[in-house]
Amino acid sequence: MRRFITRNAPGYTFLLPWLIGFFLLTLGPILASLYLSFTKYDMVSAPRWVGWDNYVYMFTRDRRFWKALHVTFSYVALAVPARLIMALAVAMILDKGLRSISLYRAIFYLPSLLGSSIAIAILWRQLFAKDGAVNAVLSFVGIDGPSWITDPNTSLYTLVVLAMWQFGSPMLIFLAGLRSIPKDLYEAAEIDGTPAWRQFTRITLPLLAPVIFFNLVLQTIDAFKTFSSVFIISHGNGAPADSLLFYTVYLFNEAFSFFRMGYASALAWVLLVIIAVFTGLAFLSSKYWVHYENERD
Amino acid sequence: MKTNATDPAFDRQLAEAAAIAAVMRQRREAQARRGRLLKHAFLIAASCVMLYPLFWLLSASVKPENEIFTSLSLWPTVFQFDNYTKGWNALPMSFSVFYINSAIVTGLSVIGNLLSCSFAAYAFARLRFNGRNFFFALMMLTLMIPYHVVLIPQYVEFLKLGWVNTYLPLIVPKFLASDVFFVFLMIQFFRQLPRELDEAAEIDGCSPFKIYWRIILPLSLPAMGTAAIFSFIWIWEDFLGPLIYLNDIKTFTVPLALRLFVDSQGESAFGQMFAMSVTSLVPVIIFFVLFQKLIIRGIATTGMK
Amino acid sequence: MTKITRRTLLGTMGAAAAASAMSAIPGFAAERTIRHFWWGNPERDKRTFAVIDLFQKHHAGIKVSGETIGWKDYWTKMATQTAGSNMADLIQMDYRYLFEYVHRGALKPLDEYVGKTLMLADFDAAPLSGGKVDGKLYGLNIGSNSQVLVYNNKAFADAGITADVINWTREDFPAICEKITSASGGKMKGSDDLSTSVDIMQVWVRQNGREFYDADGKVTATADDIASFWDYWAQMRKAGVVSGKDRTVVINPPLSETGIVTGGTAISQFWSNQMVGIQALMKDKVGAAMFPHKKDGPYGQYIKPSMFMSLTRDVKDVDAAIAYMNDWVNDPESTQVLGLERGIPCSPKVRAALKPTLSDTEKDAVAFFDAIQDRVGKLPLPEPKGAGEVYELFTRTASEVVLDKIKPAEAAGQFIQDAQDIVDRAR
Repeated sequence: MRRFITRNAPGYTFLLPWLIGFFLLTLGPILASLYLSFTKYDMVSAPRWVGWDNYVYMFTRDRRFWKALHVTFSYVALAVPARLIMALAVAMILDKGLRSISLYRAIFYLPSLLGSSIAIAILWRQLFAKDGAVNAVLSFVGIDGPSWITDPNTSLYTLVVLAMWQFGSPMLIFLAGLRSIPKDLYEAAEIDGTPAWRQFTRITLPLLAPVIFFNLVLQTIDAFKTFSSVFIISHGNGAPADSLLFYTVYLFNEAFSFFRMGYASALAWVLLVIIAVFTGLAFLSSKYWVHYENERD
Repeated sequence: MKTNATDPAFDRQLAEAAAIAAVMRQRREAQARRGRLLKHAFLIAASCVMLYPLFWLLSASVKPENEIFTSLSLWPTVFQFDNYTKGWNALPMSFSVFYINSAIVTGLSVIGNLLSCSFAAYAFARLRFNGRNFFFALMMLTLMIPYHVVLIPQYVEFLKLGWVNTYLPLIVPKFLASDVFFVFLMIQFFRQLPRELDEAAEIDGCSPFKIYWRIILPLSLPAMGTAAIFSFIWIWEDFLGPLIYLNDIKTFTVPLALRLFVDSQGESAFGQMFAMSVTSLVPVIIFFVLFQKLIIRGIATTGMK
Repeated sequence: MTKITRRTLLGTMGAAAAASAMSAIPGFAAERTIRHFWWGNPERDKRTFAVIDLFQKHHAGIKVSGETIGWKDYWTKMATQTAGSNMADLIQMDYRYLFEYVHRGALKPLDEYVGKTLMLADFDAAPLSGGKVDGKLYGLNIGSNSQVLVYNNKAFADAGITADVINWTREDFPAICEKITSASGGKMKGSDDLSTSVDIMQVWVRQNGREFYDADGKVTATADDIASFWDYWAQMRKAGVVSGKDRTVVINPPLSETGIVTGGTAISQFWSNQMVGIQALMKDKVGAAMFPHKKDGPYGQYIKPSMFMSLTRDVKDVDAAIAYMNDWVNDPESTQVLGLERGIPCSPKVRAALKPTLSDTEKDAVAFFDAIQDRVGKLPLPEPKGAGEVYELFTRTASEVVLDKIKPAEAAGQFIQDAQDIVDRAR
């Protein structure tokens, strides 16, 4: 018993703040939302138990639920790789040998600073309008572009472009990761005459794997939960023609515009399961490609 | 005593080698210069794309109200600089109040975040205890639930605590490692440090806290710098939390105050809103520039083996 | 040195945080406090806080805590506070949300105070009754408005149009749009394509002699009503005299993105209390028109309360709240401060007192309001629960028609059926 305590005491001591927060602040609301997902709840009167009705309705009758899933999955599949590759490429360029690196870093982070402000929404709608700057550039090469943001066939791509352009946070994390790789490894490789791409696959990628893994997991979760930018760019309703009906935008409107918090909670738990499956898969796969220093023998 | 240096044959060899090395160095340098030049050209071009929104914002912040939406030009017909002075005092409170509020909330939250998240991350990454994987999975789950459905239960909870209309719901959770993003981020970096470090320290009789404070934290400056920057930016820009928990306009933070300018269905003051948005970027940029040094300094300290 | 400054800074910050956290906690003083929550903008907030100051001066011992935020965020926060039974004592209500909140029991009726502490005797009866649900008064009208087509005076003059914009008909409208479009060489279209506008659709249905819902919440508009409405606009779209589909499929654009503001069209649709806001974003002068009516038929438009003040079920100090409400609509000083910003007041006395102080645009709005008085119909019946979702369904289906994904007739039939389903599900 005493050994059990001495073995576990340090771990739980350091975990204490999180444990307190989890059990006192976080867990309750999460369980409440699970309970609410089995009720009809309009936020004014008390919730009424309806069993599995919300879930049954969702999978059998709700066409917009499937539409929202489709939009969200398309976005995740496009935006996550695009943003990560962009972020890694820029981080590698910025990592080495430039004196003005900090200036560039600040500049490249700027779009992410503007986040999902009203300014970005207005700007994006102007840029990708029929007579906007993007089409003006395209017309130089003889392309007559569509009205990107209001054409249901192209509107989603404008958000993917936004995601690519706001690559600041994964870039910064990549950069921190690159900076944590001991420089003497590269020096040794240099002396051995190892070509650059080999240095990349032999040193950079394996040592950066934990950070790549982190960015992959977090960006995927974030992309599934994308809300603010879409909400503000589509004026809160997923228009045109539901082509920007992201899952969380649908969920938000079900809850706060149509007073169906119970149904929205059910939607949330379905999304949670979807995200958990993807994250779980990522963690399983990580055994084969992510190795940590403190577990190396 | 005869040394190699006086041997003519050796001297010649040495000179030849030096000459070859010099040529190679020159070539390499030329190549590097070309590479650098290319890189700069690329980066400058890319910077223009990245900076466009800032120019747009700056231009909108000095445009007259009726020009922001009717003219696509970045150059205003008249420069209306009083958007700044008017905007600062356009709301029932001056923006100084909102800035002080934001500074309090952000400052305390960032400290809380860094401390509590690095605590949890240290436990998960470097200590062994029963239930570690279970709690880690639980923690990750809290990251996946869409925020909007826990909003109301959370509000009810804080209401019962009597915390609504105070800063406590915004700050206290930060001291309890509620931002799982940062815990996970730090875990990934902590796990990259060699295990021999703690083992050696443990043999020397260091307590886990000492290892955390003296070894892990100093070696993780790039990660801590990144976390500091992100927490600052995200908390400074956070809107939903203050929206839900702050009622009294005296307690509003800057992002919340910015929303008071715009009524999508009525009279708005876009020019002033943009002007104030520009000013609200200033602290963020300053913080960014200061703390990104930590990320760079990482090389010097982690260059050990 | 740095250490000291850092510590001092932290110390100050901590103290400041403690102080403001304290001050933010509702005081334990014996003072009576009421909370008033509204959606606003800088102009409205300034006026409202001024009224609060006046009230506090007139009623020593009552403190009013003014809480404000923009329209979109207002309803999120409102829903959260409602769920937590922590609504403000007095809230600003919108015509469309009134029924949703009343049907769910979030508001208290005002009838027992009317004539005692809430003096409404000389008010116009019709706009006042807009706040009634199931025979009880749940919302005090703090301004009225009506549907309005705002047009660009310069564009009309350039095209040589001298139409009677109050009495024009459905037949006149496409011809006028054509004139504007050709006069500008196609650069400025005649009008926004209003086929996605619920407000105009409703007017159209009323022009055909029907309401959208009956008293039991049954959808009484017919598929023909809707199909003919979409056809009307489809023809103008084909002729190229209204804005293109890329503009039309943007749902609920902010004022700043409407055709008249961006210069893409000469006519956009709004509510009359928005005119001042539109004029502020524009260089050309604007005017107000009714929606063209059906020849020899009713005009279809109606005057409705643009905003209400409502008493919530969470009210703590009813007397103070009603006193505040009463000042809002009766006190000469307060009503002077509020002006027409929230809409046209329904007290004739207040209107008369405001007359000399109006700006040009406000004068136009009042003139428009006077002109339509004899032409508007009754208020529609209170809407059933789920009406908000039906609106969204309408705009969504209309966008699909605009995008040629579905034919008007087919879409209209499906819409009527889906609308009924939504209302039934919400019961």
